[in-house]
Amino acid sequence: MSECAVQRDSCCREPAELKIVAFLCNWCSYAGADKAGGSALPVPPELSVVRVMCSGRVEPTLVLETLRQGADGVMVLACHPGDCHYKEGNFRALCRAELLERLVVQLGVDPVRFCFDYVSAAEGEKFSRITCEFAARLRQLPPIG
Amino acid sequence: MTMRYPRTAVILCACSGIISEKIDWTRVETLLADHPSRPLFRQDQLACGSDELDGLCRWLQEVKAERVVVAACSPREHQATFRGLLSRAGINPWFLQLVNVREQGAWVTEDAAAATLKATRLIRGALERVNRHRPLAARSIPVHTRVAVVGAGPAGMQAALTLARAGREVVLIEKEPMIGGLPVRYDELFPNLECGPCLLEPVMGELLHGPESEQVTLLTLSEVTAVKGSFGNWILSVRQKPRFVDVEACIGCMICQEVCPERRQNGWNRAGELAAIGVPFAGALPNLPHLDTASCRKFRGEPCEICSAECPVEGALDFEAQERELELEVGAIVLATGAEERPTLPAGFAGRDLMSAYSFERLIATNGATGGDLVKADGSAPVSLVLVQCAGSLDAGHTPYCSGVCCREALKLAHLAAAKVEGLTVTRLIKEQSVPGLEAGRQLHNDHAAVVRYGRFDALSLEEGPAGRVLKTGEGTEVPADMVVFLNPVLPGAGTAQVAELLELPRDGAGFLGQLHTLAESCAAPLRGVYLAGSCRGPGDVREAFATGTAAAGLALSALVPGRDLVIEPEVATVRPEACAGCRTCLKLCPYRAIEWDDAARMARVNDLLCRGCGTCVAGCPSAAIDGLGFTRDMLRAEIKGVLS
Repeated sequence: MSECAVQRDSCCREPAELKIVAFLCNWCSYAGADKAGGSALPVPPELSVVRVMCSGRVEPTLVLETLRQGADGVMVLACHPGDCHYKEGNFRALCRAELLERLVVQLGVDPVRFCFDYVSAAEGEKFSRITCEFAARLRQLPPIG
Repeated sequence: MTMRYPRTAVILCACSGIISEKIDWTRVETLLADHPSRPLFRQDQLACGSDELDGLCRWLQEVKAERVVVAACSPREHQATFRGLLSRAGINPWFLQLVNVREQGAWVTEDAAAATLKATRLIRGALERVNRHRPLAARSIPVHTRVAVVGAGPAGMQAALTLARAGREVVLIEKEPMIGGLPVRYDELFPNLECGPCLLEPVMGELLHGPESEQVTLLTLSEVTAVKGSFGNWILSVRQKPRFVDVEACIGCMICQEVCPERRQNGWNRAGELAAIGVPFAGALPNLPHLDTASCRKFRGEPCEICSAECPVEGALDFEAQERELELEVGAIVLATGAEERPTLPAGFAGRDLMSAYSFERLIATNGATGGDLVKADGSAPVSLVLVQCAGSLDAGHTPYCSGVCCREALKLAHLAAAKVEGLTVTRLIKEQSVPGLEAGRQLHNDHAAVVRYGRFDALSLEEGPAGRVLKTGEGTEVPADMVVFLNPVLPGAGTAQVAELLELPRDGAGFLGQLHTLAESCAAPLRGVYLAGSCRGPGDVREAFATGTAAAGLALSALVPGRDLVIEPEVATVRPEACAGCRTCLKLCPYRAIEWDDAARMARVNDLLCRGCGTCVAGCPSAAIDGLGFTRDMLRAEIKGVLS
């Protein structure tokens, strides 16, 4: 718990002001997020999880719209390569993420605001860590829009 | 824009205090009171408890709820419970949105006020989302419970028998004139030197004549030529070559084989000859001869009908028999098309008494060309034998992988050969050794062969020395090599390649059939209703063939139950015809081949039998013409708007 608390102390914005949306695939990342809960690991309260069946479901426009709606940052979390419940959805997601990372720069958005990563059903600790780190990075940025 | 929100009930679960110690539900009610849907709240001590569910059901009916949001635990835990609640209350189960405020709220948020705000935000998202939910219903269709099994080796036979024992009709399709696959042709099987025919003949006997044989239609000399349909309703086109023998009339006396004046190469033995009509080896089942038109004198236009003249059963031989095309309707397909050995010699190798492991097996088999005598081409016994293991395996220039079965095979062959020729010098050439298991460990322990390690397969060479022929490794070691046997890699069989193409199944890097999951679902193909048994999945031994044959049959049995229609989950992709531009991007994206091109309508169509609802096509469609039911764009956008507002 301390990790988040420390980061929050050092940040320049109040937690309530921050808005983060995380798209989690049902089979790995969502289960990993549940695992973080089971282990009582900290997750930033500003994070709102949107469950999708597969990370391959998240089209780039959905991420861009989420930013336009006022999210300070968007995460897309997938199964590790080779572990996708739908065989290759996470590879599609990876390709789209690489495209997005370049696209947001063109739109004048700091690429820090978008995060693609892998979280397995066992990685509650990783889920906690990367969400806290992402929130900490976002707090260093001015409000979006 | 104003919209009429449906009457939305919100159940706030305390989870026996576990959630409510962090989340103040009364505060949440206050914060959400002015939501335009004017939600109807009910706090509950433990919503999933059976008594509470009864109470909740009555409440939902009393308040005439049209949509339901439950703020409780993970949907992975209780989504099915609350969908059941909606059903009982007379509400479409897909009008539910479950908000995970336990695992992803109360348990991960230290500060109670922050947890309460987070729950409020998530419920706001759910209120927006659930408003966009549409009623869905699982669809059910009748299925065929008959199963086609392709390949009648140990795996296919075991699958067919297991299915037949459960009362299923089975069509067993085999391209050869006989069944039993490869191991029935081996005198002994590793690791226990169990006799191959002794193990397999009872299995074959049960298939052909046992009580279950009533359920099994065996089609030998047959190949699948086309497949249509999908899980539960496949249509297989099968081409059956004529045997020219009436299988009902023939008594299997093999007089035709004895009297036939013509000879052909015996390809099954890779040595010796065979009459133009007959069986490739004694004991081949079904006990029926078959006629080879390429070598038969009558089919070459010569006036020969000796076989039919000598046949004791009138009409048992039928020279007019024609190729048959059959159409089979089945619910599931078990593929047991096997693996094969492709004899490979090191670069530049030539000479006498060089053979593959299969040829050697047939040479030393008591029903083989020499009656089981281990002899060289000149008829004399060899004085030395080299078993070259990893022959083309673990080799970037040939086959990169280890087949995992050849070491045990080589240990067996070394043992059998030494027992057949007294004083035989046996050397095993190895790159690596893989001898897993207790019994195989005994094989290794009892091995008396000299073992020489070598590096490169193509660096091996043969030389005539003063004391006879020697095999020389690239490292310079010389071993006496009167006879050399190569244990080549196990490769996917031709039948495996053929079915992969017909069913458009993915194959792994080595060409074996891809599996739904390599660890958890290795007997299921990624295509629903197609199951995999034996070495079409990858190199395997007889034990694995039987085990996976049973497993594949079990999967087919549990997927297709008589009287139980196929339930098709409704959360699938669907194409809006007016929006589809016909680019066909989605066809390539779908990992399950669930999207078909409708040429008449010039649009893509999703087959809901095959779609698993991953949504990759939804995200990939450039025209946004595809939507994922249960996870539509509209729903996700509403949820996002809700959590961000």
